[in-house]
Amino acid sequence: MNNPKTIEVIVERTIPTSQGEAFDAWLNPKVPGTPWNMAEKLLLNPTVDGLFFWAIKGMPHYGRFLAVDRPGRIQHTWMSPNTSGLESIVTVTFKGKGKDTLMTLVHSGLPDTSGGQSHDKGWKFFLDGFQSQLAKSGAA
Amino acid sequence: MEQLTDVLGAISHPTRRAIIKRLATGPARFLDVAEPFDVALNAITKHLKLLERAGLIDRERRGREVFISLRPDGLRLVSEWVHEYERFWNRKLDEFEGHFKRQQRSKKR
Repeated sequence: MNNPKTIEVIVERTIPTSQGEAFDAWLNPKVPGTPWNMAEKLLLNPTVDGLFFWAIKGMPHYGRFLAVDRPGRIQHTWMSPNTSGLESIVTVTFKGKGKDTLMTLVHSGLPDTSGGQSHDKGWKFFLDGFQSQLAKSGAA
Repeated sequence: MEQLTDVLGAISHPTRRAIIKRLATGPARFLDVAEPFDVALNAITKHLKLLERAGLIDRERRGREVFISLRPDGLRLVSEWVHEYERFWNRKLDEFEGHFKRQQRSKKR
């Protein structure tokens, strides 16, 4: 593969709980919003070099944990049909912010599919109510 | 990039987004576009000018009437700009944050 163009996605939230609780919750499949929640099939071994597999709507996702440093950082690889064969990296950091936790998720090494099939989805998404996403991106 | 800035500015206002949604169903006359809004026609004209400047709408005279239609290619720039995974993770983290907010509210009761 000739050095495909990749991009990085950064998403940040302030979670109203302690750093340790947010960290533990992120690895708990029962907690809504974690990647593992709602999976039709799930294998999860959150230790360094441990693997995960989950599938939703028949779409498989695989990865390997690179770092599990409680309570500050989780890093794992992420492969799915959307990464077009690339091993992307997800890094989640948790920083104490008073009683809350600043959670930052960086998904790097993603193939830039904007020129491809995501167009149609993006278009539909806009018409279905793009407004909230734009607001989150600071564009509105 | 300049057009993307114009497009983002144009769709940053709820009235203009509502106009886009209306025009997504097909071309319309000025008064039909303005009808659902409880604002002066002058304000609708200004919104339309901004949408036109961003390349999102076209005006076409047919006889005595002017029809306004959507040019969706400009919106495509926005969908290119927001990556699929950005939407995925935003949704996930919203759910995650919501879970703790609900927990917090139930603790206060």
